Amino acid sequence: MPSLISLEFRKLLSSRSTRLALIVCGLLPFLWSVAPRLGETLNVTLVSGWQLPAISIGLAVQYLMPLFIAIAVAELLGTEVAQGTLAPLLLRPVSRSQVILSKLLVALTLPFLLVAVTFIGALLAGLPIGYGPFSGGTGFGPGGFVGLGEITPDVAVQQLLRGALLSSVMLMPIAALALLFGALFLNTAAAALATLVTLIVMRLLTVFPAAVQRLMLTNYTNLYAIQGDVSQTLTLLAIYTIGFSLMAIFAFDRRDV
Amino acid sequence: MSKSGAPAFPAIEVRGLSKVYGKVDVLSDIYLNVVPGEVYALTGPNGSGKTTLIRTMTGLAFPTSGEVRIMGLNVHTQGARARALLGAVVEAPARFYPQFTGAENLQIHARLTGLGVGPGRIAEVLALLELTSMGGRRVSEYSLGQRQRLGVASAILADPKVLVLDEPTSGLDPMGIGLIHRIVTGLATSGCAVILSTHHLREIATYAHTVGIMTAGRLVDTIDLRTRQSAYRFRVEEPAMAAAALEKLPFVRRAAPRAPFAIAQLNGPDHVPDALRALGEQGLRVYEASPDHFDLYEYYRERVEHA
Repeated sequence: MPSLISLEFRKLLSSRSTRLALIVCGLLPFLWSVAPRLGETLNVTLVSGWQLPAISIGLAVQYLMPLFIAIAVAELLGTEVAQGTLAPLLLRPVSRSQVILSKLLVALTLPFLLVAVTFIGALLAGLPIGYGPFSGGTGFGPGGFVGLGEITPDVAVQQLLRGALLSSVMLMPIAALALLFGALFLNTAAAALATLVTLIVMRLLTVFPAAVQRLMLTNYTNLYAIQGDVSQTLTLLAIYTIGFSLMAIFAFDRRDV
Repeated sequence: MSKSGAPAFPAIEVRGLSKVYGKVDVLSDIYLNVVPGEVYALTGPNGSGKTTLIRTMTGLAFPTSGEVRIMGLNVHTQGARARALLGAVVEAPARFYPQFTGAENLQIHARLTGLGVGPGRIAEVLALLELTSMGGRRVSEYSLGQRQRLGVASAILADPKVLVLDEPTSGLDPMGIGLIHRIVTGLATSGCAVILSTHHLREIATYAHTVGIMTAGRLVDTIDLRTRQSAYRFRVEEPAMAAAALEKLPFVRRAAPRAPFAIAQLNGPDHVPDALRALGEQGLRVYEASPDHFDLYEYYRERVEHA
């Protein structure tokens, strides 16, 4: 199993889509730090470098990161099928569950990786603005970017880490969903498309009663901004992640390759 | 060709294997056994089900009914344990991660075997397949034939008990084909059971022990080349009488007329003078005696056309 996980990480990090995603996530914060109409568009006055991570993650987590995750995770199986390397892997004395679990583990770390790179990029891009105490909000704490008064660097760091962690967790079910479609279709384009379509349809289900909407994964894309107890939301996201993961394992177990 | 005294239990055993895709029977009730030390060649027209059979035998595809056992272990229910005894290349050319070098790809496979295959063995198989100088280069730079040879290197990495190769000589030059023949023969001599699919009938006739012919998902014939290669032909005036006379001899396994010859399968070439003497004693004049080379290609053509 460690050999498989290490192999999957090597493949993930050497794939073009992952590299592109990491570059984009790392560089976008620099763009936001000099964007002239940022305040006008997002209603944010950039007064501290501590605000840039929330701006960068908040903007990427809605569409860009789900897109990157859908494609990169779909590739974990799709590319193997396309280049014919899945069969040689399955001819070795490893179980199919081990193969898909190692892919799942790697897939579930991708949101953390993308968020971490965005976070680091934002911290670097915020250096010219400064990291001292400031009046306002980090965007991840109470009061959003307006805040509730002066914030010290210690508090800012705590708020940012909580927000980044919740953003990553929120993206985990999307990674599991992409792997499920990967196991069903064994094709990168089809699996990525199916993942994105599922997310879009979930968003469109706002026309259904609030009780249904509350169950939708896409209802929690702003999880990082929710203050107070988020345990119920985390439980729902965990159910989604585990559910999609189990379905992926089951779908792959007796699939002809 | 086979080792004398080789155990008779099958290294690979296929029982009643059927595979249906939608309404199409891709494989129908296949039975076959391959014993340790045997080279079994699977042949048949394109679309006859060879690749599906190989993928099902190696556990990549699942049968609709029937089972496959490798050294007694069910490939589909005891997969990991069964595959620990298996080396296989199921695609031609063999596929590898193009971004890694040949040696790195072999290292990946070595780790996955979980059998402690070390760098020494990797260097050994690279040398055996004449790929030492290519080992440090990315697989994306390999030619078709080099990838195919790397595939065989990967398959034999963990000293398998059963070797399954789908068209192993596809894309190889004559030197490469000879190399694969030597490796396959060497493994079989050391007790490994080998199953390979091929279209090169005259080529496999030189080193396979058994040939299975598939058409439309059925295994329509199994030919034991060992018995065919011990046949001799005697040109006589009365082939039927000569065949009947030969049939009675203790060292003749089988005899039949094929005008103008009487064809006899002898226990060995040493018995040819005895057969000539026996025919002479019966008053049958022999004009010519020579080995009756079995033409697998002709036999195959006839068999497939009438299947």
